Parts: sequence; structure tokens; C-alpha cells
Amino acid sequence: MKTINYTIQTFLLCSSMLFFSCEKEAPELVEEQELITTVTLEFLTEGEPSQTLRWQMDNVNPETATLKVNTPYTVRVAFLDESDPGDIEDITQEVQEEADVHQVFFEFSDLNIDFSSGASDVRDSQNNPLYLQSIWNATATGTGTVRVYLIHEPTSKTSTSRSGFGGDTDVAVDFPIRIIE
Amino acid sequence: MKLSFSKLCFLLVAFTLGNWFVSGQTCAYSLRGKVIDLHDSTPIYGALVSVEGTDFFSQTDEEGNYLLEGLCYEQIIISVEHPQCISLKREVKLLTQKELNFQLEHHINELEEIILSESQLETQNASVKEARLSKDQISQYSSESISEALSSLSGVSLLQTGNTISKPIIHGMFGSRVGIVANGVRLRDQEWGADHAPSIDLNAFEGVQVIKGAATLKYGGDTAGGMIVLTPSKKMLQDSLYGATTLNLESNGKGGSFQSKMNRTTSKGLYIGAHLTARRFGDFQAPNYNLSNTGLEEGVFSLKFGKTKVVKGWELNYSRFQNQMGILRASHIGNIQDLLVALNSNEPLRINPFTYVISAPKQEGIHQNLQFSYYTTTKNNAKWQWEYSYQINQRKEYDVRRAGRSDFAALDLKLQSHTLLGSYSWENDFEWKYEWGINGLFEDNFSNPNTGVKRLIPDYTKYELGTFFVAVYKPTNLFSWDWGLRLDGLFFDAQKYYDLADWETRGYGLRYSRFEIQNRGNQLLTRPQLFYFNLAAQTGISFAIGAGFETKLAYILSQRAPNASELFSDGLHHSLATIEYGNLDLKKETTHKVLLSFSKAEGGFSASVEPYFSFSKNYIYIAPQGIEQTIRGAFPVWNYFATDVLMAGFDSNLEYEIKNQITLAWSTSYIYGQDLMEAQPLILIPPFNSFQKIKYTSKKRLWDVEIAHQFVGQQGNYPDFDFTYNTIEMGTIVPKKVEVSAPPKGYNKWDVFFSIYLSQRGQSKSYVRLVAQNLTNTDYRNYLNRLRFFSSELGRNFQLQLVLRY
Repeated sequence: MKTINYTIQTFLLCSSMLFFSCEKEAPELVEEQELITTVTLEFLTEGEPSQTLRWQMDNVNPETATLKVNTPYTVRVAFLDESDPGDIEDITQEVQEEADVHQVFFEFSDLNIDFSSGASDVRDSQNNPLYLQSIWNATATGTGTVRVYLIHEPTSKTSTSRSGFGGDTDVAVDFPIRIIE
Repeated sequence: MKLSFSKLCFLLVAFTLGNWFVSGQTCAYSLRGKVIDLHDSTPIYGALVSVEGTDFFSQTDEEGNYLLEGLCYEQIIISVEHPQCISLKREVKLLTQKELNFQLEHHINELEEIILSESQLETQNASVKEARLSKDQISQYSSESISEALSSLSGVSLLQTGNTISKPIIHGMFGSRVGIVANGVRLRDQEWGADHAPSIDLNAFEGVQVIKGAATLKYGGDTAGGMIVLTPSKKMLQDSLYGATTLNLESNGKGGSFQSKMNRTTSKGLYIGAHLTARRFGDFQAPNYNLSNTGLEEGVFSLKFGKTKVVKGWELNYSRFQNQMGILRASHIGNIQDLLVALNSNEPLRINPFTYVISAPKQEGIHQNLQFSYYTTTKNNAKWQWEYSYQINQRKEYDVRRAGRSDFAALDLKLQSHTLLGSYSWENDFEWKYEWGINGLFEDNFSNPNTGVKRLIPDYTKYELGTFFVAVYKPTNLFSWDWGLRLDGLFFDAQKYYDLADWETRGYGLRYSRFEIQNRGNQLLTRPQLFYFNLAAQTGISFAIGAGFETKLAYILSQRAPNASELFSDGLHHSLATIEYGNLDLKKETTHKVLLSFSKAEGGFSASVEPYFSFSKNYIYIAPQGIEQTIRGAFPVWNYFATDVLMAGFDSNLEYEIKNQITLAWSTSYIYGQDLMEAQPLILIPPFNSFQKIKYTSKKRLWDVEIAHQFVGQQGNYPDFDFTYNTIEMGTIVPKKVEVSAPPKGYNKWDVFFSIYLSQRGQSKSYVRLVAQNLTNTDYRNYLNRLRFFSSELGRNFQLQLVLRY
């Protein structure tokens, strides 16, 4: 009886040792789909070269845009995933396709800038502007920052403030702006 | 179906133990001893031991003890009777004072009201007071999760993530510091996560105990908080078919649950049992609004088949637990600014109409367990026991994502574990009991890369090998001493991608260059291999000071290796807007704990107070350490680090029964937790809590009514983790304080229970119960709910419960 017990027990012990010999494969690198690494702001106005500011995950201090007072600028916002330099993805496409659940918005500090939807801006099914393309006009000189928001599933699409839109913030990055004569 | 009791039960051997000499005076003979179950040494309560032809008799107490004093005859006939067994007669010669133990093959034919614990736990845990749920309490909480049921015990609180996800906190500790043992095997799920509820259904079990001390050493030495031990119903050695069905209907969440259990046993010892639970709820409601996306679905079934004989037995057991739980939609936020807005709002920012549909964010889990147990008893009453279990835990978490990806899991983990537990227990002179055993674990975690989200937990394999030895010395019923030791070796073999820049900034490149495998762009594949050696020890004594007055004192040393989350976690928490980083530098955590217990029981009165004190070195803890600029703005970074921690507290219980009709009960618990290195309080320490109830039972015991009141104080001892965030208001940057630290106000909650008994089989009842929870519809928030910033707790709930036992 006792011998049988020990046999069973030894067997159990040995079989448990078998698990110890497994070798695991190297894990695959995750291809991140949700990631936005880069936000660009492009400023265009007649008679001036265009200016493009880039906010990047590994360079969180973008250059300053210098804009003229009382001059309308066409501003384009783009969201990119540049985590793989060989395969840059334009997230702006996804935002456009899901216009009803996205919203771009700008908030300015120490700047007097009015903005409105541009001619080639994207509009959602209720004809609300997304502000992917907008017209900016500064009414006074000064130096300050603009905070660019990308809002996912906003609770309102017709607000005039960030908090009014509600929703989840996917992007909130600051760009320095200087307004000159 | 019922067989005569005489057939069910038979008495086996009875034999004597030590003799003591006393002065041979007439009528001074005495006889004492124990009546115990041969199966598992559990004491048999209520057996009548009498001397034939005299008025001398004694009934065994809950520990199975009897005592006959003042006997005058040298030669007597002892009769041992139990309500469910034929009586046994034995001739006994009384030359001296004598101790005589009876071993009774006690096959219960009714499910017991109070489930006797597994023998080893019962005896080896003598020096630490246990808390347990009765079968009736398990039924009462049948529509709730295991954690919610446990939180009715003093000293156990709930760590919540919203209203559906909860896990137990014992003496201020949770997660990897609390173990769950089901059917004799540690539950291996992703227990490290604060928002991971245990993947187990309480309804499959009939015994629930919270144990601390030596008895835990069999299952692990790493749980400084304690172990929750779930045991199934006892098997009967008779031809029988029995079961129970419970139905719950609830107004809050417009849902309910259904449970059914069926067991078939035979006199040959073969048995088969099955259990099924289904739960479904839609959105729950706070007093003033709908909690959108808080529904839940759960389906559980288990099947067991086995054979039990007096000396040996085996069992094959399979169980499957599957659930889906919604997470409050309003708690899924993008950044700190969103959190600020939520903090300043009295209501959740998204309130949709009631629905049963569960959308992202949500969690899905499947836990499967296949288990084989075998035991055999040798002649000298020694027992070999083997348990093997294979568990697969699959966990998926869904976030609100762009481009239809919400339907794809953002976290997809598969944890497979093989556990083997072998133990040998034996007794020596009935005074000493020993148990020695070994415990092996192989665990494999796979993190699916197809989620499109950086892995929160990497792929890893974990190996554990441990051995334990516990001993109990119990010379009399008035004194016991127990002690135990456990040694464990633990090896982590992980494979993880680190962001190359992170790897360097944290200094890992210098300290852990040996783990580096391969560079892939800006990612570095590493293979951290970490070994930990842990020691656990326990010793305690229990002694009676006077009639019904017992004192227990225990010291527990436990060591715990950091878990996968503490070492490796890497990701963003949507509900708290935090980034969490694991820490490779972590060493094992050591906790010294002293528990004291004083208890007094007399007639219908019982009281106990249990102060405790613990000191932890290298206590692994997560706290904010700096701010990181991300695409979503500034984020607080929470890092795991080690500190020294002091915790002290007490649990108290008071119960008074008046004329078997009115029961008054009062329990309180308080805990103080301090981070000694940072000189600040610990986060998420349960606030002072007082629970009182009054129960009236009708004279004929046909119905009862219970009013329960719970007071939870405001936690005044908390760390200040508030920080500032720059918002833009009216064209200027305004720094705003993000107040995430201050605990909410205390609250009072009233519950009422009204039960009507339909039938009674022994102590087991069928009944209809009407329940009103949060009767006053009080609007309150709970400090231990991690989503307290977003919504209030549940409002009033009416519940109809039907329990049928057959």
C-alpha cells in the first residue's frame, strides 16, 4: 500500500516538473493603433510662406508661430502616428470619417484670436464644423499659447468652450504663438 | 428518499488515551474526551454521552468535548448517542480519571447551518480568531459577488471600481496580499489589479472563512492580509439526492439571479454534484440618476464527480466562470481636464436611459478550473492529500476607442496555471498534530499583441516551489499552541518591450543590461529574470482565562515577492487619468503582524475584540511621482515603489440574544495606516465602520424581521496627492487644484430583511425573503470606490428572494 502511495506521489511530482521545461517564444511587438504621436498646425496666408508647427511625443516644445495682426490665416490641424517612421499614419482621416463623434477645438491664453470654420473644413451630419480647417484672425498683438483639442464622443457639438463640449480628451497640446504688427 | 438514521451512521472505534492518577476517592472519578468525525477529525456537536442506569450525562460542545464528573462506579457502561445515529454502548473501567475519545463516522444527512471547517484549518488556526459566513448568510448574499458577501464580516472591507467590480480588503490589505482558496487550491486569476474582481462564484460553496495565521501556510506565505477559504458541502455516505435553488429578483438594475445545486450521493461513497448560477442586471441606479453602462452578466457552472470512503477518496472537479461587467461610461475620460470637470459636477457627465446593453468600457472574464484531488489515510490516522489544478484565466478589457475599435479588446490576457499541492498530516498522542507538504506552481501569462495597445502586463512564466510544516499542540481544551514555517522559491521569466528612452532614463540600461535582448526601432526587447526567496512563519497560543473567556495571541511573518503588475506594469488608466509604471528594482516585501483576541461567551451573550498591529518593510505601494507631458496634456505618473508601513487596528463584535427571539448585534472596525518613510498616511485605508442590527424572530419561528444599520465614517487619515493643472479660462492660464485626495463624507445606510420560512429540514430552511437595501435612498459616496469622483453609490433596492432546499 505504502509503495503504491509513494509511486503515485513520485509520479505526480515528476509530472509537475515537466511544466518547468517549457520555453516561451519571444513576444510580437505590438502595433499600436490608438496612438497619436504628432500634432501639426499649418498656417497659410496670402503673400507669406506657410508655417508648420509640430508637437511630437519626443519633442513636446514646438516652435513659435509668428502671425500678423488683423490678417486672416487658414489653419490646418493634422494628427499623425509617427511611431513607426517607415509607416506614418494619418489619424486625421479617422477623425474625418467619424465626424459625428469627434471635435477639434482651440483655446487661447494671452491672445486675442477669433476663429471660424474654413471653406474646406469637415462638417458632421448635423452640419457642425469640426475645425480641422479654420480661419484665424488676431485682433491684438502679443505672445501667448493656443491649446489644440481633439475631443472624442463630445456630449455637445455646438459649444463655445472646451468644457461645454464635454467628452473625452484625446489630444490637448500647447503651441506658442506671437502676434506682430 | 430518506433512509433511517441507523443506516446512515455508525460508530467506529473508540479508544483510550493517557491516564492520569488522582487520589482514589469514591465519587471522584471523571471521564472526559472528544467525539470527533473519523473522516476529517471535525468535532461532532450535540452528541449525548451518558452513563447507563444513572442520571449522569453530558452533551458535546461545539468542539466535540464532553465531561462527566463525580462518577462513583468503577465499572460503567457508556452510551454515546447522536440525533442522527444509533447509540453506541461501551463498557468502561474507571480506575483513575480517564480521557476517552470517540471517533464517529458522522455522515451528515442534512446540510449544516454552520459548516464545520476543514479539520486542518480548524485545529491549526486555534490561535487566530476566524471569521466565517454561515450558509444562511451565503444565501442572503446569493445575488451579489463574493466580495460583497465577505464585507459583512468585521475586518473585511470592499475595494470597489464602480458598483459591480469589487474585491475584498482584509485589515487594510488587498490584491496579492489576500489569497482566495477554493476547493483546497489557490485561485489563480489576475488578482494584482485593483479593478479585478475575483473570478469565482460564492454560491458554489457552503463554507466561507477568512483565516490568518498558520492555517494559511499550506496555501502560501505571501498573504499578509489573510486567506479566504471556500469549501464545498460535505458528502453524505448514503443514497440521496438533494439540492437547493435560489431565485433573486431586484428592482435596482432590474435584474436578478438564479442558482441551482444538485447532489447525488450513494452509500458506496460515489457522488456527483452540479451547480449553476446565472446573473443578469441592466444599468444600476444611484438615488437621483441612472448609472449608464453599469450592467452585468454572469454565468457559472461546476461539475464534480468523486468517491469518498472512510480512509480514501478522490474527486474530479470542473468549473467555469464567465462574466461581463460594464464600467460607468462617464468614468472613461481622456485627461486631467476631463477629470477636473467630473470632480466639479454633482452628477456623471453622461447619463443615458436605462439599458441592459453593456458597451465599452467593459470587462470580460472567463475562468476555468480543472481539478483532481486524492487522499488516503494510513493506519495510524495519518493522511496523504494531493490536489492538482489547472486553471485558465482569460481577461479582456474594452476601452472607448476610435474607428470601431471599441469592439476589440484593449487588454487581452490569458493566464494558465498548474498547481500541485501535496501534504501529509499526522497526529501524535492526540496532543500534537502535524502537517507537512509541498506546493508547486507553474504559471504562464500571455498578453495578446493584437489589441493594438501597448501591453499593460508582459508575457511571462512564473515558477514557484514551496514547502511548509505546521504543528499544533493541544494538551487540553483550555490551551493550544501552534506554529508553522514555510519556504518558497519564486522565479519570474518575463519578456517585455521597453521604450528605449524610458529604459535609459530609469537607469535600467546601467543596472539591467544583462536583460537586454534586441533593439527594434525605439523599442527594446528585454528578458528580465528575477528570483525571490521567501520565508513565512507563524506562532500563536490560545488559552482560556475563565468560563467562556478565551485569549489568543499570534505572531505572523510573511514575505511576498512583487507581482507582475508591480514589476512591469506600463500603461494608462482611463478612469483616474494616470500613467502607471512598474519598477524592476523592487525587492520582496516583509510583514510582521501581531494579532490579539479576547472573546467571552456566556448564554446568549458573546463579545470579542481583536486588536492587531503590523509593520511592513519594503511595502510595495503605488503613489504619484511627477508629471509627464503627453499628447493628452500633463499626466500624473504613478510609480510603484517600496516603503515602510505601519498598520494598526481592531475589529470588535458584540451579540446578545434575548429569549431566543430578539438578537442584537454590533460590530465595528477601525484601522490606521501610515507610510513611515514619507511620514504620511496610506491611501485607501478603510474608514471607521460600525454595523448594528436587531432581529426579531416570531415565537413559532415561522418568520423573522431584521433591521440593519451601517455607519461609515469619513476617513480623516489620507495622503495629499492633489496636484495642479493649468486650464485656460477666459483667455488666460489658470492653475487649478485637482482634488483627488479628500475622502467623501461619512454615511448611514439602512437595510431591512423580512423572511418567512416555508419548511424546515433540520437547521436548513426554505424561505421567502423580502429585502430593502438603502431604504432611505441615501445619496452617498464611498472612499473605497475608485470611481467615487464620477458618481454616487447605489440607491434604494427592493429584492425578493426565494430559497428552496430539497
